[in-house]
Amino acid sequence: MAQSRSELLSMFQKTATEVVEREFATISEKTVISELGIDSLGMLEIVGSMERQLRIQLPDEALAGIQTVADLISLVEKKQSAAA
Amino acid sequence: MATGIKDTARQERLYRLYRTFFDKAEQERRWNPYRDVPYDKINPDAPECLVTVAETFCCVESYLPDYVSKGINLVRPYFGQAWFSANWGYEESKHSVALLEYLIQSGRRTPEQMFDLQARLMSLDWTLPFDTARRMTIYGCLQEMATFVIYVRQEQRARELGDECLSTIFRLNARDEIAHCRFYEDVVKVLLEEDRIGTLRDIALVAKGFQMPGVGIVPDYEDRIKVMREEGKVDRAIFLQKVYFPVLKYLEVTRQEILDAVWSEKHERRKHEDPQCQTLT
Repeated sequence: MAQSRSELLSMFQKTATEVVEREFATISEKTVISELGIDSLGMLEIVGSMERQLRIQLPDEALAGIQTVADLISLVEKKQSAAA
Repeated sequence: MATGIKDTARQERLYRLYRTFFDKAEQERRWNPYRDVPYDKINPDAPECLVTVAETFCCVESYLPDYVSKGINLVRPYFGQAWFSANWGYEESKHSVALLEYLIQSGRRTPEQMFDLQARLMSLDWTLPFDTARRMTIYGCLQEMATFVIYVRQEQRARELGDECLSTIFRLNARDEIAHCRFYEDVVKVLLEEDRIGTLRDIALVAKGFQMPGVGIVPDYEDRIKVMREEGKVDRAIFLQKVYFPVLKYLEVTRQEILDAVWSEKHERRKHEDPQCQTLT
C-alpha cells in the first residue's frame, strides 16, 4: 500500500536520524537535504534504507536531482503509483 | 604485505593491466606539451575567470612531487601498479607544464608570478587522504573521473570563449585522466574479486570522505572554487550523475550492494559493542 506524504516525511526523518546518528529538530518537505549536514553519499544511504523499507528501487539518474525532502517524497510517490 | 600464490596471481593480473594501459598510451596518447599545443591560438581577450580556472588546475597539478612520492610507496610491492604510478607522474607532469606555458605565453601571468605561486604551493605538503593501497586506488577512480568531467566541461567553455589553445590543453588532459581512471577501475575490479565485501566497504568509505586534492592546500582555494563553480565545476548532483554512478557501473557494483556492505559492517560493530543487539539498520 502506498504511503501518504506525511508518512513518507516521518520515514525520512526517522531514517535520516538512524543513518546520520543525530537528532533533527524539525524537518519539513521544504527542507534542503544538504542543509541538514547530509552529504550526497549520506543521502544515498537514506534513500537506500527507504527503498528497502518500501520495497522499491528508484532510478540512479533521478537521485542526482534531489535537493529537498519534497523532491525525494515526490520521487517515491511517482514510483509507487507507477508500480500500483 | 601478502605473499604466496594469491599474491603472485594478483601481481600477474596487475601487470597485464599495466601492459594494456601502457601499450595503448604509447600507441594513441603520447603528446608533447611544447609542440602539440597551439599556443599561437591563445585568445588574448579570454575573460579572467577562464585564466583563473587554468591557473587553479595548474596549482592542483603542481603537487605532483607529493602525489608521486607518497602514492608510489603505497603500491611499491605491486609491479604493475608501481610502474603505472611512474607513468602517471610523467603524464600528469605534462598537464601542469602545458597550463604553465599557457599562463605565461598568454601574457596573463608573468614567469615571476608563476614561480612565486609555485614556491607558495610547495610550502605546504599534500598528504594521502587514505592510508591503504586499496583505498587510494578507489580514490584514484573517483578523483580521475571527477577531474575528467571538470576538464571536459572546461574544454567546452574554453571553446565557446574562443580560446583554441586552452581548449586543446583541457582536451589532452581530459583524455589522459579518463585513461588513468580506467586503469584504477580495472585494478578495483581485481580487488573486488579478491575481497568483495571489504572492497565495497572501502568504496563507501572513500566516496564518503572524498575531496579533490587541492582542498586545503591551494592558496585562495575557496575563491577559486567559486569561479570554478560558476564556470562549470562538479557540484553534488554532477558528482553523483557523472562521477560516482558511472564508476559504480563500470565496476558492476550497485549502490544497494554497497549499502548492504556498510550496514552489515555497522551491524557487526554494534553486535561487538552490544552482543544482545540483533537489529539491522
